[in-house]
Amino acid sequence: MTDSATSAAISPTEFRAAGTDLSERRRSGVSRGPLIDLVRPAGAPDITWNENGAARISAFTTIATLAADAKLAAAYPGLAAAAAGLATPQIRHMATLGGNLAQRSRCWYFRDPHIACLKKGGDACPARNGNHLYGVAFDLGPCIAPHPSTMAAALLAYDATVTTNQRQHLGIAALLGDGSNGHADNLLAPGEVIESVDLDVPAAGERALYRRAISRSHAEWPLAEVVVRAVIADGTFKLARVAAGGIAPVPLQLEAAESVLRGAAANAATIDKAVAQSTVGANPLPMTGYKLDLLRGLMRDLLERIIA
Amino acid sequence: MRSVTINGRIETLPDDPDALLTDVLRDQLGLTGTKLVCGAGVCGACTVLLDGVPVASCLMPATSAAGRAITTVEGIAAATLHPIQRAFMALDALQCGFCTPGFIVEAAAFHDNWRKAQGTTPPSREEIGAALSGHLCRCGAYDNILRAVADACSGRFDSETAAAPRVEARDKVTGDAKYTVDIRHEGQLDGLIVRSAIAHGKITALDLAPARALPGVMAAISLLADDGIVRYVGEPIAAVAARDHATAKLAAAAIGIACEPLPFVVGLDAARKPDAPLVFERSSRKKAANVSEGSPAPASWKQNVRGPSAAFSHKTKMVRGEVANATAANDPLLIKDVFRTAGQSHSCLEPHATVARFDGDHLTLHVSTQAVFHVMELIARRYKIGHDKVRVIADHVGGGFGSKGSLGIDTIAAIELARAAKAPVRVALDRHDELSVTGHRPGTELDIALLPSRDGKLKALSLTAWSDNGAGVNSTIAALARLIYPAEAKALTDFDVISNLPPGAPFRGPGGPPMAFALEQAVDEAALRLQLDPIKLRQRWDTDPNRQRLYDWAAGLETWRNAKPASSKSGRYRRGVGVASGYWLYLWQPGSKVELAIKAGRLIASTAIQDIGTGSRSVIANTVAREFGLDPQEVEVRIGDSILPVGPGSGGSRTTASVVPPTLLAIHQLKAIIESRAKQKPLPGSNAPWRELIAASADIKVSATRPEDSRNLAPGVRSPLKQAGFMGAVFGWMLRRFSNLAVGSGVPSSVQVIEVEVDTWLGHVRVLNVHTGIAVGKLAAPALARSQAAGSVIQGIGYALYEGREVDPLRGRILTAGLEDYRIPGIADTPNIDVHFDEAGFDHVLGGSVGIGEVATVPTSPAIANAVRNAIGVRATELPIRPDRLVALLSQRSVA
Repeated sequence: MTDSATSAAISPTEFRAAGTDLSERRRSGVSRGPLIDLVRPAGAPDITWNENGAARISAFTTIATLAADAKLAAAYPGLAAAAAGLATPQIRHMATLGGNLAQRSRCWYFRDPHIACLKKGGDACPARNGNHLYGVAFDLGPCIAPHPSTMAAALLAYDATVTTNQRQHLGIAALLGDGSNGHADNLLAPGEVIESVDLDVPAAGERALYRRAISRSHAEWPLAEVVVRAVIADGTFKLARVAAGGIAPVPLQLEAAESVLRGAAANAATIDKAVAQSTVGANPLPMTGYKLDLLRGLMRDLLERIIA
Repeated sequence: MRSVTINGRIETLPDDPDALLTDVLRDQLGLTGTKLVCGAGVCGACTVLLDGVPVASCLMPATSAAGRAITTVEGIAAATLHPIQRAFMALDALQCGFCTPGFIVEAAAFHDNWRKAQGTTPPSREEIGAALSGHLCRCGAYDNILRAVADACSGRFDSETAAAPRVEARDKVTGDAKYTVDIRHEGQLDGLIVRSAIAHGKITALDLAPARALPGVMAAISLLADDGIVRYVGEPIAAVAARDHATAKLAAAAIGIACEPLPFVVGLDAARKPDAPLVFERSSRKKAANVSEGSPAPASWKQNVRGPSAAFSHKTKMVRGEVANATAANDPLLIKDVFRTAGQSHSCLEPHATVARFDGDHLTLHVSTQAVFHVMELIARRYKIGHDKVRVIADHVGGGFGSKGSLGIDTIAAIELARAAKAPVRVALDRHDELSVTGHRPGTELDIALLPSRDGKLKALSLTAWSDNGAGVNSTIAALARLIYPAEAKALTDFDVISNLPPGAPFRGPGGPPMAFALEQAVDEAALRLQLDPIKLRQRWDTDPNRQRLYDWAAGLETWRNAKPASSKSGRYRRGVGVASGYWLYLWQPGSKVELAIKAGRLIASTAIQDIGTGSRSVIANTVAREFGLDPQEVEVRIGDSILPVGPGSGGSRTTASVVPPTLLAIHQLKAIIESRAKQKPLPGSNAPWRELIAASADIKVSATRPEDSRNLAPGVRSPLKQAGFMGAVFGWMLRRFSNLAVGSGVPSSVQVIEVEVDTWLGHVRVLNVHTGIAVGKLAAPALARSQAAGSVIQGIGYALYEGREVDPLRGRILTAGLEDYRIPGIADTPNIDVHFDEAGFDHVLGGSVGIGEVATVPTSPAIANAVRNAIGVRATELPIRPDRLVALLSQRSVA
């Protein structure tokens, strides 16, 4: 017996890399369309470095490789820390960077095959008037599920670009949108596949930290997560990039906090101001006000450690 | 054709792009050591090595294994067991064993890598916790797993083959142990239950013909109740059996269902409103499920509220008067609060499952059950067949926790499908069903008022419990507050609140943890107001001799003596210490029998008990071995089969106290016979006289029935029900008459002292140290008792901090229906656990041992809440104490 709402479910063709997201949706029946397996070209390297020291990462690179690669961790420590902090070891060994960026929402309404929702072709978000304990605190569009990609948040902090089989050098915002499209988790066109990710040359002396707030110690989707990148010289922030996940339909660059930090003294007073500015633009739902507390807590934690 | 190497053998992979590696391993290759649990990559039970690297096979497309090498748990041991397997066995790093293969595979890979890089320097608990963070164990064997991995990495188990305290441990670490879901008969079909997608409705037509017409579909049956009404999402409507799971799914979708939706109501608050839609009409009230173990006593109904049930109250009017006066007078000693607890799902890693098979008119079932004998009786009664025509088998059971104590819909469906299809049928629930419709500990609202007198005695206690039962009745929560802390007057009232949600079920100490969460926090608050040490206050108010000894132990703990008042704490990380008490009834099952035999020189003990991970096999083996001076491994224990002499169900912590006494009687008989028949006495000075006598003995068989306990009680030991006066006696009589359970004298008790650290920035509570003091008499199997005690703490941490059923209020669907959203504790959440056993108190029981499973989890959540109060100065009144709740508590304080 089926909820009448599910008849609206759509069945597009989906690409499959490792299948760590897709297999669960296939088993539950949320994904029913045709599959195209992505096959890694023989001998293709995971990470290539150009002569300036910038990395290009193949979309087939596993999350475990991102977390373990010593050169990558030295150049882009926020990226490596984010990779090490997501999912479980067994998932990280399989899951790919491309798949992580293109994964579907973890919303419990989306994952329930009996409930229609915007991302399944429905016309309303059932979480908004329902139970949205894990929903967004920055309500930017009709769907209120946070974007699931931790790597996208990290790449946003690094201004990384994504190259697909159709387009070159898309920023994370161009890849995932601004959160106003509740019908999709990304703006990839039909048939479009992520091929690689390009990072800029690391700034001299830059540091980065990543942390997620969860209820247990490990292996949990973030209630909120933050990546902070900074160059601190002569006691001031020369560079400050802050990206957050788990709080909005897309990873957010926390520009108000960044602008407090940039050029300011690396001290407690600056941190207080940046923490206060980290929730600018937030409009939490009835059940998600706590995410702003966690966001401020994460900001304070990371900023205190990054100036230490 | 694609091929793959599995445990060194070349195998062929199916072409189906949707085939997942787990299913190929289990169903096509019969490698059932690999378990399917969450299907979402969360729990790790399906972990295999892919070219030496651990991966989640439940998410891995089988086609992508082409050309690679897979190692399953069956391939981990070479000529000898892997050091990790030896360590898990020796240190009892397992209980039900269902998660064990996944842990073994991951831990073996971790061990091998660690040894290459680090030699024999053992890894830290944090390093092991991070490495194994993709595995979940519902029994909570984590503490011993951490030890086992560390010790194996240190080289301790490179050659040593230490004896395993759990007699079936070897089968569990090698993947050889067969659970119900692993049974596969020739021609076996896959059964699937079709469930309601709506919360309330009348099924007006059910058309099974389209399902039956599909190729490969062998049976389709109705499971509808006679009124055709479904009262919650997931209520069974029909079932199908087909040649494989995919076909069964197609058949389920093909069934025609016409349904007239009815108004419905979801949850505790909505269901109590006077205009809420009615869940059960007067005529259908008997259809409500039972959320407790005993039979329901009569109670009145008003709309969706059943109650008040207040038989255990004592001078109710006096309580009301005292509380009203104290309220009017603003008495600072009056403690009044409202506590709320979330629904807790059992989350057994082995789902509810049955394999049914008819051989002529003989029905053989493998059932994942806590009661092989009782389920056999229920089947015989339901289908009006003789006990000799039904056999229920459960060699190994992957967890139960109270949810598998009765005849389940999986069993009914499997039987009826097997009969209709004329073929064996397996019905195994999926994780979604497991986390939504197989029962849970109901959420509660608990209104408490506690009034000490000026001279520091407990004058009056009022506790009203509203239980969020879903479509079920018979919660007993407030009543349990009668049997601890005697007071001048107690008003204890239970209400069942019924709504269109799946019904609750008994869960480890039913009613105990929520009662303790409210009462033990109120007592803690009383200590603060009276400016007394909380242990000293309990020593004053609590008269139980077992707990008095535990209080003495607790008061001497360094953790306790170093505790500081909340006012002294500030900063980001704040530590706090809390204490709480708990008790459970000592129950045993009259009529439990144990047979002891010597056959071909070997000792065999038999009883129709089952081992759900608690260790009943080992309890029997240890008891027999101890009396004969043998090793437990020398005793063959036959259990898990209803054709054996009647044994107790594994519920109510009754098994140890039900089987140890008859085992001892049987041993006594057997020894007498052996000695009388022995042709020659053992050689003088023999250190194993019985081994020689048994080896030389002819075949003998004796059996004994559980005797009544001695009436000769130690001072202070009495039946807890006596505290409840006449109604206590009635309760005891009813339990024995209708549930075949006797309430013995003496009270199994637990006192826990817990230290937490609160991260006030991220709302995170970390449990650092747990001291759990337990009085359950002598330990029949000491290592396993420790495992149970530690596991109870882990489950209690889940209840306190992480676990909560979340519901869609507009549809009545359970949203936490997967293990990523329903959050059970992980290995890295394991605190240091110090287990203290006080073995006195049950000398009137033959053998001196009673059960531990329930009492050991009762005090954990209030002890954690009291520790949080001590850390941050604010009381957490709602469970679980998640980050969202903790930051709200903290901000309220700074606002105030």
